[in-house]
Amino acid sequence: MSMNEHTLKFFGEELDQLKAEVARMGGLAEAQVGDAIEAVVRRDVPLAEDVVGRDSRLDQLQHDIERKAIRIISLRQPVAQDLRRTVSALKMSSILERTGDYAKNIAKRALIISEAEPITPLTRSIERMGKLVSSRLKDSLDAYTSGELDRAMDVWQNDEEVDEHYNSLFRELLTYMISDPRTISSCAHMLFVAKNLERIGDYATNIAEIVHYEVTGEEIVGDRPKWSGVSGPAEPEA
Amino acid sequence: MPLNQPPSPLSPMPRVDADTTAAAGRRRPRLRVLLTTVAGLAGLAAAGWSGHADLLVVGSAGVIVLGLGILLALGAESGAVRIPVHPSVPAVSGSREEAETYALALELAPNPVLLVSGGDADDVAARRVLFANAEARELLRIPRDGALLVTALRHPGVLEAIDESLFGRTPRTLSYESGPQERFWRVWTKPLPPTSTHDRLALVIMRDETDVRQNERMRADFLANASHELRTPLASLTGFIETLRGHARDDEVARDRFLAIMSRQAERMARLIDDLLSLSRIELNEHIRPSGRCDLGLVTTDVIDALAPQISAKQVRIEVQGPVGDKALVAGDRDQIVQVVQNLLDNAVKYAPPESVVRVEIASGLTLEAVSAARPEEGRLTAPDGGRMSLLTPVRAAAERFAMVRVDDRGCGLTREHLPRLTERFYRVEGQNSGERTGTGLGLAIVKHIINRHRGGFFVESAPERGAAFCVYLPMAPTVATAPTDGSAVSPRSESKGEGVAA
Repeated sequence: MSMNEHTLKFFGEELDQLKAEVARMGGLAEAQVGDAIEAVVRRDVPLAEDVVGRDSRLDQLQHDIERKAIRIISLRQPVAQDLRRTVSALKMSSILERTGDYAKNIAKRALIISEAEPITPLTRSIERMGKLVSSRLKDSLDAYTSGELDRAMDVWQNDEEVDEHYNSLFRELLTYMISDPRTISSCAHMLFVAKNLERIGDYATNIAEIVHYEVTGEEIVGDRPKWSGVSGPAEPEA
Repeated sequence: MPLNQPPSPLSPMPRVDADTTAAAGRRRPRLRVLLTTVAGLAGLAAAGWSGHADLLVVGSAGVIVLGLGILLALGAESGAVRIPVHPSVPAVSGSREEAETYALALELAPNPVLLVSGGDADDVAARRVLFANAEARELLRIPRDGALLVTALRHPGVLEAIDESLFGRTPRTLSYESGPQERFWRVWTKPLPPTSTHDRLALVIMRDETDVRQNERMRADFLANASHELRTPLASLTGFIETLRGHARDDEVARDRFLAIMSRQAERMARLIDDLLSLSRIELNEHIRPSGRCDLGLVTTDVIDALAPQISAKQVRIEVQGPVGDKALVAGDRDQIVQVVQNLLDNAVKYAPPESVVRVEIASGLTLEAVSAARPEEGRLTAPDGGRMSLLTPVRAAAERFAMVRVDDRGCGLTREHLPRLTERFYRVEGQNSGERTGTGLGLAIVKHIINRHRGGFFVESAPERGAAFCVYLPMAPTVATAPTDGSAVSPRSESKGEGVAA
């Protein structure tokens, strides 16, 4: 196909715009996760309600990005890196949308947890794990917006930290539930909060993989350093 | 949507099309554009900012105006920072030279300042950073001009505020939190008058309020922690005082024994308060990069000397491996690094069985990969319930080399479930039979905060009955040309400590 200079420039702009929209969506997802954790930790009911309410915005953004990406693919028939950028945006939007769903789920549980007696050591653990997950999400999104492969690889390689926090929290919760059955209800919700956070951590790793693919055109080879096989209970509905 | 449509921009398209057409009419921002606005901007810096009722803004405007004053006084001779003025740009007010000075004033402002342009309200990619001053460039890792706004700032609240200034022409103020170093920012966005090249312009000024917020939080945490932890020894002290006043009044043997216990409790309280205070101090400065440099090898030698009494009391042997002399120079605050090594070594000695060996290994010139590739011996990783856990991972900076200290003991080790929580304040491993608890439960928390301040990393390897290794790594001091030992030469065996949960 022959494209004159204008068309090419035009096309580059479309791709920039797509990336910008993904970045904006990332910012929103990041804030949703941060606020959801905050809502659990501070027992902040209005904040939790805000998070739940804002989720539809993410759905809408995902829809927009998807539409635009499909449009680019169908009308521009991109190849090589242009194609990878388009496909990455598509994948990113769906990952971010699901991240948002998990954040919403955490916020919903925050509403329930805040009705029960506070269990400070547990909320501290949640906060710690939440901070870790948020910072990994931030790092992976930074890597995406800046296209820095090294930063993406750092996120990818340090996945086990989140898993360990999850396993530790899992045991801690079990201890509470065994020693005081009255805490079972809130502990069960906390367990799902922890599981959701763990999933969000996995998505951060996926984002790192997408960055790798977008930049190099190859999938990451090799196994992530992992030595834990422990896992928690079934997933909650997002 | 038709998938096999030819890639012609003119072909009929579905509804979505409006976007593309809009995109066509849009111009990419050019940096020269900037300068037309700079003069007006500087006027705003002087008049607008200081007119703001908010004290904080007055403060920052004051600094900027002061900076301008100094610049004028110096005749802007420095020349180190120059913002090029495009010759075609007519000065809005005053000469071109003056505009240049105003631009320089912004460049030198101590707060991050961004000049943002917007095109179509629906197009995120049209919002570009026309100018980012030195502070903003460093903070947001963006070039001076041309960056997409969303690559600089993603926070939805901030983006919304900027939009309101761009399209609604209203100023906004908000606060947000960012980063692994937990920084709090206050952000002001202000609409700017349109120029011949840009209809939509906004100024974004950021101010670091981490100090204030940290102070507040620290005070609350300190009170909570201190009162909780001091209660136990205090209860014991009051108990003994009661006894001494009562039936033990004339019992000399009991009195001596009680006084000895009371003295130990008082010492423990003193240690606790010291640790709490030093933790608070470290946390207050955590977001400030340390200056200075020191050598990990020399620090380790000093610490071993200082711990000689404990070491000989326990009859533990310390084996040091690693480069001698200025081979492991790291960028950092010497006192704090001494504290790190001391806490780790103190733990190792405390939890090592009597007459065992504690190995300390120092390595330098390692890449991040080399650090994480370092594997312990003894099958700690494969042992059931053993493992390796990163307690702190540094943010990567380009081409950085690290020096590390590893302390390895033969104590009773830790099970995996405890590893992620070791740096938690006052976290105790249950069933730790290390005799009397002499630690404050803050040692590893202190280590973690210091290492975080130094942008380093921290990990632990341990397995039950196989001892534990604690390893910290720090960025090497920049001017030292690190001989490419590349990690392969220096195998890490680091400091470890047995269940040393409490430093």
